Amino acid sequence: MRIEEHPILSFNKGKKVNFVFDGKTYEGCEGEPIAAALHAAGIMVLGHSHNKQRPRGFYCAIGNCSSCLMVVNGQPNVRVCTEKLQEGMVVETQVGKGDLK
Amino acid sequence: MNNTASVVIIGGGISGCSIAYNLAKKGVKDIVVIEKKYLTSGSTGRCGAGIRMQWGTEMNCRLAKFSTEFYENANDILEYDGDIEFKQGGYLIVAATEKEDVQFRKNVALQNSLGIPTVYLTPKEAKEIIPHMDETKIISATFCQKDGHLNPFHATQAYADAAARLGVKFMKYTEVTGIKVENNKIVGVQTDKGFISAPVVVNAAGGYSKQIGDMVGADIPVYAERHQILVTEPVNPIQNPMFMSFSLNIYCQQTPHGSFIMGRGDANEPRDLRVTSSWHFLEEMAKDCCELLPLLKDIRVVRQWAGLYCMSPDRQPIYGKVDNVEGFYLATGFSGHGFMFGPVTGVVIAETILGEKSSLPIDKLGMERFAKGELLFEPSVV
Repeated sequence: MRIEEHPILSFNKGKKVNFVFDGKTYEGCEGEPIAAALHAAGIMVLGHSHNKQRPRGFYCAIGNCSSCLMVVNGQPNVRVCTEKLQEGMVVETQVGKGDLK
Repeated sequence: MNNTASVVIIGGGISGCSIAYNLAKKGVKDIVVIEKKYLTSGSTGRCGAGIRMQWGTEMNCRLAKFSTEFYENANDILEYDGDIEFKQGGYLIVAATEKEDVQFRKNVALQNSLGIPTVYLTPKEAKEIIPHMDETKIISATFCQKDGHLNPFHATQAYADAAARLGVKFMKYTEVTGIKVENNKIVGVQTDKGFISAPVVVNAAGGYSKQIGDMVGADIPVYAERHQILVTEPVNPIQNPMFMSFSLNIYCQQTPHGSFIMGRGDANEPRDLRVTSSWHFLEEMAKDCCELLPLLKDIRVVRQWAGLYCMSPDRQPIYGKVDNVEGFYLATGFSGHGFMFGPVTGVVIAETILGEKSSLPIDKLGMERFAKGELLFEPSVV
């Protein structure tokens, strides 16, 4: 799902780029939030709650709520709702609170 | 509110609550704890929450050992509903200067002689304990597995709950505005909610204990020093022990929740009662931490806060009576270590007030030591 038209905002879509999510290759637009590219690919579960491991989806969309923390290019706790997509990014579902490497 | 009390304790931190509990356990009735805000709102709730037995003076070693052994069993002894979250992940204290290395060898010998199982380590051995440390920055290290940290909010609540069950009254959001003394004897305490007659007053006011002392004309040689802490986002556990350096002015630990907390003070700051946060601290702390623990360079800081150390001239507590003011007792001057000494503070102050034999020889920790010049300086403080 992607919002194509919006009454206030305009979208300057970047060129198509490839990225990897949990081992599979997907296509997104360069510069859009990683979460937007995942959503467009039908991936709704971005994180999991710490205590009960329940799925967490797209929520605050401004880098505040910690619902969408994922591992990006090996770095844990990246807010994919604000992090911009780039060619060749490796995005992974984060297990637990993330490992510093 | 109560108009009379047998003992009024000023300060609802770990010291005040521990003193109240110990007095009540010994059968004292009509104890009142007065707290300006909420329990732990002062230094206790702002502290780094570390517990260590690795000290440089015999007195501090003994006080810390007593307290550590209490905290090991505190959930049961205090019959606490929750958990004080005592985790004995150890303290790794690193020597970054030759002087420190010499001191640490002495400290380890002293600690071992008192039954504290500290070991002296080479940089390589230290790195095995904290693998993400840059061991080239250190000369040696000492490690004691029995050291650790616990939750200051739960620990204080555990004491407060146990004290309340024994009849202790807590007056929160109540400020002491004066202490009445007649013929060199304590008569009572004036608060913003009224006057309480009491023959005994305990000053456990942490960063404010100088101001409380001034109310009875006792010139306590302490001052408040702001120390700051920052906390990071949580990550999966990678660091068990507290990492600490005196000369590099840093302590850093990973809490059970996964966040790292680290802090320091600045001895050159104005001596006032500010608990505001500064960007200088954030910048300098982050920089120094990343040099010593480079793995933390990408972790995000969530927030920061500050609290007050109550500094005494020799960095050891001031316990006991004050000359010329009968009924006034001090539990102050902890110099940043009041939380870890909380259990022993409660026991020895209760014994002192009741005229009992002290469980530990605290006669050298009285205020008279400053007039006599009999100071034993603690060399190992952050």
